[in-house]
Amino acid sequence: MAAVVPANRPARPLRRFLRNPGGLIGLFLLVLLILVALLAPLIAPDPISQNIALRLQPPSSAYWLGTDQLGRDVWARVAHGAGISLRVGFGVVMLAVVIGVVVGLLAGTLGGAWDNLLMRLTDIFFAFPSLILAMAIAAALGPNLNNTIVAVALVSWPIYARLVRANVLALREREFVEAARALGAPWNRLMLRHLLPNTLTPIFVQASFDVGGAILTAAGLSFIGFGAQPPTPEWGAMVSETRSYIAEAIWAPTAPAIGILLTVLAFNLLGDALRDVLDPRGRD
Amino acid sequence: MKLLKAVGLIAAISLGSALAQDRTQTLIYGGDWSDLITMDPQVSYEFSGGLVTDNLYETLVKYEGADLSTLKPGLAESWKVDRGRDTWDITFRLRRGSKFSSGNEVTAKDVVYTFERALAIKGPGSFLFTEIAQLKPGATRAVDNYTVVVSIPKTASPGSFLSILTFNIGGIVDSETVQKNAKGNDFGKEWLTNNSAGSGPFRLVRWDRGSQVLLEANPNARIKPKLQRVILREIKEPAVLRTALESGEIDIAEGLTPEALRALSNNPRFRTLKADSLRLNYLGMNVKEGSPFANKLVRDAVRYSINQDELVNGLVQGNGTKIQTLIPKGLLGYDPRTPYTFDPARAKRLLAQAGYPNGLEFELLVSTGICGGGIPCADIAAKIQSDLAKGGFKANVKAIANAEVLRTYRAQNHQMVLVGWSPDFPDPDGNATPWADFNARSLAWRNVWNDPTAIRLANQAALETEPAKRVALYRLLTDYVLKNGPYAVLYQPAVPLGLSVKVEGYVRNAQGQVRFENISKLP
Amino acid sequence: MFFVVFVAWGVTFTTFFIANVVPIDPAIAALGDNAREEQIKEFREHYGLDKPIWQQYLIYMGRLLSGDLGNSLRTGRAVLEDLKEFFPATLELSVAAFLVTLLLGVPAGILAALRQNKASDVTVRILALIGGATPVFFLAVLLQFVLARQLDLLPVQGRLDGFTFPPPRVTGMMGIDALLARDWAAFLDSLRHMVLPAFVLGMFSAAILARMTRATMLEVLSQDYIRTARAKGVPGRAVVFRHALKNASLPVLTLLGGLLGGLLSGAVLTETIFSWPGIGRYVTQSATSLDFPAVMGVTLLVGLVYALINLVVDLLYAFLDPRIRYA
Repeated sequence: MAAVVPANRPARPLRRFLRNPGGLIGLFLLVLLILVALLAPLIAPDPISQNIALRLQPPSSAYWLGTDQLGRDVWARVAHGAGISLRVGFGVVMLAVVIGVVVGLLAGTLGGAWDNLLMRLTDIFFAFPSLILAMAIAAALGPNLNNTIVAVALVSWPIYARLVRANVLALREREFVEAARALGAPWNRLMLRHLLPNTLTPIFVQASFDVGGAILTAAGLSFIGFGAQPPTPEWGAMVSETRSYIAEAIWAPTAPAIGILLTVLAFNLLGDALRDVLDPRGRD
Repeated sequence: MKLLKAVGLIAAISLGSALAQDRTQTLIYGGDWSDLITMDPQVSYEFSGGLVTDNLYETLVKYEGADLSTLKPGLAESWKVDRGRDTWDITFRLRRGSKFSSGNEVTAKDVVYTFERALAIKGPGSFLFTEIAQLKPGATRAVDNYTVVVSIPKTASPGSFLSILTFNIGGIVDSETVQKNAKGNDFGKEWLTNNSAGSGPFRLVRWDRGSQVLLEANPNARIKPKLQRVILREIKEPAVLRTALESGEIDIAEGLTPEALRALSNNPRFRTLKADSLRLNYLGMNVKEGSPFANKLVRDAVRYSINQDELVNGLVQGNGTKIQTLIPKGLLGYDPRTPYTFDPARAKRLLAQAGYPNGLEFELLVSTGICGGGIPCADIAAKIQSDLAKGGFKANVKAIANAEVLRTYRAQNHQMVLVGWSPDFPDPDGNATPWADFNARSLAWRNVWNDPTAIRLANQAALETEPAKRVALYRLLTDYVLKNGPYAVLYQPAVPLGLSVKVEGYVRNAQGQVRFENISKLP
Repeated sequence: MFFVVFVAWGVTFTTFFIANVVPIDPAIAALGDNAREEQIKEFREHYGLDKPIWQQYLIYMGRLLSGDLGNSLRTGRAVLEDLKEFFPATLELSVAAFLVTLLLGVPAGILAALRQNKASDVTVRILALIGGATPVFFLAVLLQFVLARQLDLLPVQGRLDGFTFPPPRVTGMMGIDALLARDWAAFLDSLRHMVLPAFVLGMFSAAILARMTRATMLEVLSQDYIRTARAKGVPGRAVVFRHALKNASLPVLTLLGGLLGGLLSGAVLTETIFSWPGIGRYVTQSATSLDFPAVMGVTLLVGLVYALINLVVDLLYAFLDPRIRYA
């Protein structure tokens, strides 16, 4: 993470981050989640082993969060689901950033008709109702977790394209770029040396918000059956599978829902803090 | 909370007048009716469509109560089957004085129009007429106002034709009213999608798609219903269905979870019912050359790996019954034997014998929907997957849209599928031919199971008219398919229902037909 | 206006492309398991599914230009008919949810800004954070369970009580139709049925709006002219309402366009859970049965509505901010 903070800003942002309670809570939650995800095989039992005779059992010392409709350990499933949600969130955002950066850079540097065409394309994707489009894509590709990631990424990239293009346009006018060009520096080197690093901060801030949003959207897709395959312990699918039993086993849908809530909360808090620290213009 | 309650109370009082209107005269029936797409009796081929149209239209003959073996008079007061030169001639005598909701009398010309209409429209269920009954245009003739003769080829079975006539495709429409509302050559198809023109005890008043269907007593009907109004309320979520029943928003809930059913049965305000169905949920194994399931030992290993008792008692919990043979309980030839027991050690031995000492990995296709008995297919698949693992199999579950499952299955591109089957008409042949006869291009074909013995037995049994001999043939067939076929039957689902104790006279037969006219409500 | 048309074309092209990248068979989807091979063949011919993709696209576009969205493979009806049937319910729910958003989000944001760092501010901020992170589908299921089942306060499903006779269909919006029919009981009943789904649907955007309102209010309140007004002795409340609120409304307005569009998307989950007969549930069912003409119809409609909302927001923006002028 530290590598992304531009070198021309010394330790000040870090100190400011440490003084931001929301950011610290977010960081704490995220570290906790990553730990749970990494250590799940050690700290939780098998998430798919069933014991039908013990279905819908309330929380106990043997089953910390009770069991679900197939007698599976809810805690085991929630713990193993942490890694899945993080993978989905990061996967979506990385893919979206790659698409968005490529489109934005191309539009910003090529200019003219190309710029127009690419930005109109971006507008179209912006105008789409994201969940409906993601659903259509997931339905066409066939439901599995990887396709869900692709589907959500395909509706999430336009914001990055706009960000990058706006920055490229702004930087083109800046003196040091003009000077470098006047000295004969080729465009592609300029892009790599100056434009991209300067665009990274806003992308990074935006991305930290979007991880949470991506997890929510992907969980929603899994909830309506366009996501993870059984018996994958994906949180949205878990809420979906156990919702009919809420009267008998309220813990079964609630535990994964709290998992989603905490994960999204962590990224939202981190995003807020990062924006305050790295991008003072966009502050609350 | 107190404030909220007060608000609720005020709202309830102000609504009092609206809510009080003849509750005992209105029945609200909640369930997943999302497959309802048309009210046209000759087009509808969905369960919910049948549920509604059966009450809007009368058929010439019908079944009563839960009995699916004795035909009773409907619009026809009597009928007889004669052997013609190369046809079966079936003569129906219509009763006088039956009236459509328009007031027109039901006569022979309406029957002729209805049957020709079914053949012309070619709805999804039209194969019942064209293929099973082999009915041709022009084969239905009105002799006089109250006599109709239908001729079908000798190769078709008159018994099957009569049982098909109990379905909504045989629901007689008011030819005058329909022709008046027809557009071009559509035989009134567009109009009948949203309107009714039948002589049944109810007429369609309003259909809010995706929400509810409102039926009212047909003032001209011969059969007078006990209730003035029946509303079918579309509720897909089992948890919501239960809440709606408990709070009195609905009177009958269809499709509850086993837990909800148990809770309701302990509540004196409700009673529960597990209505029979003729559906079988099963695993289909593709036995085409090169497939591991081509080896009979592997198929046996699958059957020995399934813990059917735990599946039926633990997961399905009485919303279904244990069965291993291909003719469902309720039809002639049902075979209650269950020779396959859960024996993972034996399964492993069989697998090793078949050349898979280290186990076998394959893909199990399953629909994302509900699989009968109110249980999501994915849950059944997860249970099967865990059982199979004990027998040495590694099944990778792939849950996709039902249509995708069927497409793959029909193209013979599956390895194993978890699906259901309901017979087209209540006769053992409705299962025997599709399951056993490769040439029928149905289930045996999809699983690439071309077995001369099974084909011969199925054909023989279909044409046998002597019931005792027929039963004996089906005994042979079911046993043969059980041990050699590409199937592992899992259970026969029941339809889980919760009813308010005020509701009386509700009967649902195994074809899913409910006669609303017999239902009444206590105050 | 050109933009709207362009978006519409893009939306249909994209969905058409998506619908055809993978070989799917809508014929089986529509006809079901027991269908015979001949029926499937006839169905494909009837809907032109046997033609090459580019021909299908040309046919689709040709029809679209004359206002025909094609037929739904699942319901067998014209998609346009289905949309007419289901869109009013979604519109009604979205408007109700939008009111929830405004009535919860704006006052909460103002309150928090005026009492910065006090208890009420902290409460609003925490609630907004949680509201923005709660999965809508779980909130729906939970509220149904707690409010409708355990406390029996509100109806759990549908738009009207089954025992209430529905008013004649005019607009398709139950509340409006009840008003038109002067059926007060049905009107109140329809409001009662709207409370839960509208709250669930509106909560997420209310959380975002509260944060946004708070942030802009704080910024405006710290600006010189407000301080001047306060120093001049203009009473606090007047300052807030006359100056601060007006200036804070601009950035909030920008957000609203996106929020209303988001509500249409959120309807997918909410309608499915509350048995609400709108286009959200329609599109979910259509996608499940691979009925792409219907999915395309819905995306086109929602894309258009979204573009229109943004157009209106732009115009409002120009109206409120004299510095912007549209040619």
